[in-house]
Amino acid sequence: MLAAIRHTDDFLHARGAFAPNFAAARPAWWLPAIILAFTPMYGALMGSYQLDEPERLLQGVYSAVKAPLLLGVTTLLCLPGFFVLNTVLGLRDDFRDAMQAILAGQAGLAITLASLGPFTRFWYFTTEDYRAALLFNAAMFTIATAAGQLVMLRYYRVLIRRNPRHLATLGLWMVLYAFVGIQMGWILRPFVGSPGMPVSLFREHALTNAYVVIVELFAGR
Amino acid sequence: MALAWFRDLDELLRGRKTLPESLAQGKIDLKLGPFASLSILLGAAYGAFMGLFSVTSREPAVYQQLLASTVKFPALFIITLIVTFPSLYVFNALLGSRLRFLETLRLLIAAIVVNAAVAASLAPILGFFTLSTTSYPFMIILNVGLLAISGAVGLGFLMQTLRRLAAAAYVTAPPVATPMSTEYVNGSDDAGADASLRPALAPLPDLRESRNIFRIWVLIYGLLGAQTGWLLRPFIGSPDLEFTWFRHREGNFFHSVWIHFQALLSG
Repeated sequence: MLAAIRHTDDFLHARGAFAPNFAAARPAWWLPAIILAFTPMYGALMGSYQLDEPERLLQGVYSAVKAPLLLGVTTLLCLPGFFVLNTVLGLRDDFRDAMQAILAGQAGLAITLASLGPFTRFWYFTTEDYRAALLFNAAMFTIATAAGQLVMLRYYRVLIRRNPRHLATLGLWMVLYAFVGIQMGWILRPFVGSPGMPVSLFREHALTNAYVVIVELFAGR
Repeated sequence: MALAWFRDLDELLRGRKTLPESLAQGKIDLKLGPFASLSILLGAAYGAFMGLFSVTSREPAVYQQLLASTVKFPALFIITLIVTFPSLYVFNALLGSRLRFLETLRLLIAAIVVNAAVAASLAPILGFFTLSTTSYPFMIILNVGLLAISGAVGLGFLMQTLRRLAAAAYVTAPPVATPMSTEYVNGSDDAGADASLRPALAPLPDLRESRNIFRIWVLIYGLLGAQTGWLLRPFIGSPDLEFTWFRHREGNFFHSVWIHFQALLSG
């Protein structure tokens, strides 16, 4: 346990085994382990909205399971394209490091989210409004995403110095990941759980397209 | 055998098959059979994901569209190849490339397999959206976007290799540059000593001209590919229309993309 905390601390400070130019020194599974450890924490807190009935506890469990799924499956879907485009741009020899940088970004996002979890729980105490709860979560995700990007840049800067083409693949990854991630978050709903609806793992008829929904909202339908 | 194919593809994608040094020696180590087969295989994989929409979005599912797209998408590559290959060969020969007939064919198939490989690598994203989308215009725009990425990479590969070849043609040309002309280009005093090493520097203006011709040719190739795709439609299958192998010949690709884009924005 203490070792785990020390590693996390090293990661946040980009020190020791987690120094940006030191990818070879640490086992490749450390960063995925950090992601898997911290995302369920926020998920559980996010799903703890209106805990007035015992069955609403289940929502916390569901969200704790779905949060790592959201990051993991999105990454898996984008990975083949990212891999091939890295190869075509002649960056294959750096791929292991690029992968570590991406995982580092997600680990940074996961830890930041978990650290913001208590705020979310506190917000749920202060307001019962469902819309406000959703908006607060969106704000927390935005902050954590920004922090994750900064962490990723810390590692990518080393790569870009090695070969400026890494800047292109980094941009590409961000576009692909955001594009797929938004839709993934949409179909994995509910994370917070509307008070009027029964607790469920997935929404009924959840398989719709987030972007089409957004356009329809703007078009006023 | 298949594993060896993919190893070859990997080498190609990494750019090791088209290194400037080996091109300069007139060697093109691009295997025709494996790359042609892989183009069809990877193209079919992407085509299948394209046709999947007709299975998931319709009641009852239209499996014919899945089959049709799996066959038609690789066919799109082959038809584009047949139409564009002769002119590439002729231009290349006229511009003094050392590429012979078969070698030009190898190069074009290599560009196609790069295109197909990038498309296939983006197919998981297409599949994910297919499973979670009912909007037909969205699927069209998404496909156009993904194929634009893969097409750009394929054409980029072709362009890069053509440039290297053009450069190589001049490097290996008999040294026409006298010490004097090299000195003029370099503007340095010691240029005369190693003039025989750098005859490539003299005919630079011609090189730029040939690049422009390649640029135009690559543009034509891209436009033609898009329009061939239009002729072979439907690939995705409009939910409102009966299944057909081909549609009436009308309109063009770019107009249609614009129409679908507007349809998507207006809900």
